[in-house]
Amino acid sequence: MTTATETNAMPTKTDAEAEVRKPGAFQFYAEELSDLLRVTIRTFYYIVRGKREKGDVIRQCFEIGNKSMFFMAVTMAFIGAIVLFQMCMQAKRIIPDLTMIGGMYAKLLIRELAPSVGAMPFATRVGAGIAAEIGSMVVTEQTDALRMSGADPVDYLVVPRFVASVIMGTIVLVLGAGIAYGAGFVVGVTTFDINPNTFINFTSVKGGDVALGLIKCVCYGGIIALVSSQRGLRTFGGSEGVGIATTQAVVGSLFAVIVANFILSSVGHFVFPP
Amino acid sequence: MSTALALPAKIGASLLQIAEQAGGIAIMAGQILRRLLPPKIDRIEFFRNMYRMGVQSTAIVAATAFFTGCIMVIQAAPIVQNFNANHYVGWSAMFTTFREIGPLLIALMFNGRVGANNTAELGTMVVTEQIDALRALAIDPVTYLVVPRVLSMIITMTALVILGDALAILGAIVMANVMLDMHPVGFVNHALEMLVLWDFLVGVIKAFFYGSMISLSSCYFGLATRGGAPGVGRAVNASVVASASGVFIADYISSFVLG
Repeated sequence: MTTATETNAMPTKTDAEAEVRKPGAFQFYAEELSDLLRVTIRTFYYIVRGKREKGDVIRQCFEIGNKSMFFMAVTMAFIGAIVLFQMCMQAKRIIPDLTMIGGMYAKLLIRELAPSVGAMPFATRVGAGIAAEIGSMVVTEQTDALRMSGADPVDYLVVPRFVASVIMGTIVLVLGAGIAYGAGFVVGVTTFDINPNTFINFTSVKGGDVALGLIKCVCYGGIIALVSSQRGLRTFGGSEGVGIATTQAVVGSLFAVIVANFILSSVGHFVFPP
Repeated sequence: MSTALALPAKIGASLLQIAEQAGGIAIMAGQILRRLLPPKIDRIEFFRNMYRMGVQSTAIVAATAFFTGCIMVIQAAPIVQNFNANHYVGWSAMFTTFREIGPLLIALMFNGRVGANNTAELGTMVVTEQIDALRALAIDPVTYLVVPRVLSMIITMTALVILGDALAILGAIVMANVMLDMHPVGFVNHALEMLVLWDFLVGVIKAFFYGSMISLSSCYFGLATRGGAPGVGRAVNASVVASASGVFIADYISSFVLG
C-alpha cells in the first residue's frame, strides 16, 4: 500500500512506487482475502452471540434502505426501460412478432436483471457509504476507543450493517424489480405498440425463478456489506486513506457481486432450470 | 418550522442542492472547454493520469468483461434453446453485451475504481490545502489538475470498453462451448453474420459519454470537498452516486437516440 501521504500531487511518485508494490501484489490480495474471511466468520459469530445495541439495526436499515431508495428507483426505472428497448430491437431482427416479449422480459427481470444489475448501483451507493463511514471512524480513532471500552468493532459496527444490508437489499431490489417492470411496460406499450394484455404475462415465470432471484438478492446484500465493512476497518493514513478505502470498497463489492453472479447463475441454471 | 411545511421544505432543499451541483458541473465543463481552445494541457500530468487510470485498470476491466460475456451466454442459452435456434446464441449475447451491458458494467467499475479514486485524491488535496498552494504559485488548478484528468478519463474509458468487448467475446465463446457444445469458429461466424458495425460503435459512443459524466462529476465533487477526513469520505460517496445516476440517464437517452 501507499506510504507517502503528503506528496500526492507531485507527478514523480507513482512509477517508482508501482515498481516497489508489484512483487507483493499476490501476497496483498491473499492477505486481504484471509482478512475478509476472518471478518465474515466473526460477523456470523456475533450475529448469534453478540450483544445487541437497541435500535442499531433499525437505524442502519434506514441509512441503507430508505436513503438509497430514491436513487435505486431512478436507476431501476432507467434499467427497465433500456433493457426492454434493447430486447425489442433484438427481437425485431429475427421475428417481427413482439407478443412473446412480455413473458420473456418478466422471466429475465426476475432471474437476472433486478437482482444482479440492480445490485451494481446498490453496491456503489451502499458500499461507498459504509466504507466512508467506518473509514472515518478508524482514522479518527473511534474504533480504538470502542476496543478500549471492550466492544469489538465487528460486533458493534459490522453486524448491524450486515443484517440491515441483507434485509434492505432484498426489499430494495424487489421494489426495484417492480419499478423496472413498470418502466418496461410503459416503453413496450408506448414505443413498440404492444397490447397491454399480452405484455402482462407471467405464465413462464416459475417458482424456481423467483427463488433464484431472492437467493441472489440476499447473497448480494450480505456480500456488499461484508466487503465494504472490511475495507473500512482496514483504513489507515488520514483523509487520503479514507478515499482509498472507499474506492477499494466500491471496486471490491462490484467485483464480488459479478463473481457471485457468475457462480449463482451457473449453479442456478442446473438447480432451478429455466 | 411547522410540520405541514416540513416535507415540501425538504424536497425544495434537495432540489436546490441538485441544481447547485448540476450548475457547478456545467460551469466546470465550460472552464475545461475554454482551456482546450487553444489546448493548454500539462503533458506530464496527462500521461501520468493515462497510465494510472487506463493501464492500471485493465486487469479489473478484463475480469469484469470476461464474466459478463459468460453470464450473458448463461442468460441467453435457455431463450435460444426454447426457439431451437442454438446458433443465435452468439449474436444474442454479443448484441446485448456490445450495445448495453458491456459499456454499462465497465462504466460502473470505472466509476468505482477511477472516479472514486480521483475524487479522493482531489479531495485530499483540498483538505490539505494543496490547491491553495497551487493558486499561491500562480498555477491554475483547472489547467494543471482537472483538464488532464478529464481528458484521460474520457480516452481511457473509451479504450477500456473496446478492450472489454474483446474479453467479453472470449468469455462468451468459452461459456457457449461448455454449455451448448458450440465450436468457437461456428460461434464467431454466426455472430458476425447478424452483427453490424453499428452495434459495436454504439457501445463506443456510449463509453465516450459515460467517461465525460464520470470525469466531470468526480472532479467537481473532489474540488467541492469540505471538512477533513470524513469530508473526503462524504465527497467520494456523493461523487460515485452522482456519476452512477449520470451514467444511467446518459444510457437511457443514448439508447433511444442511437437506436
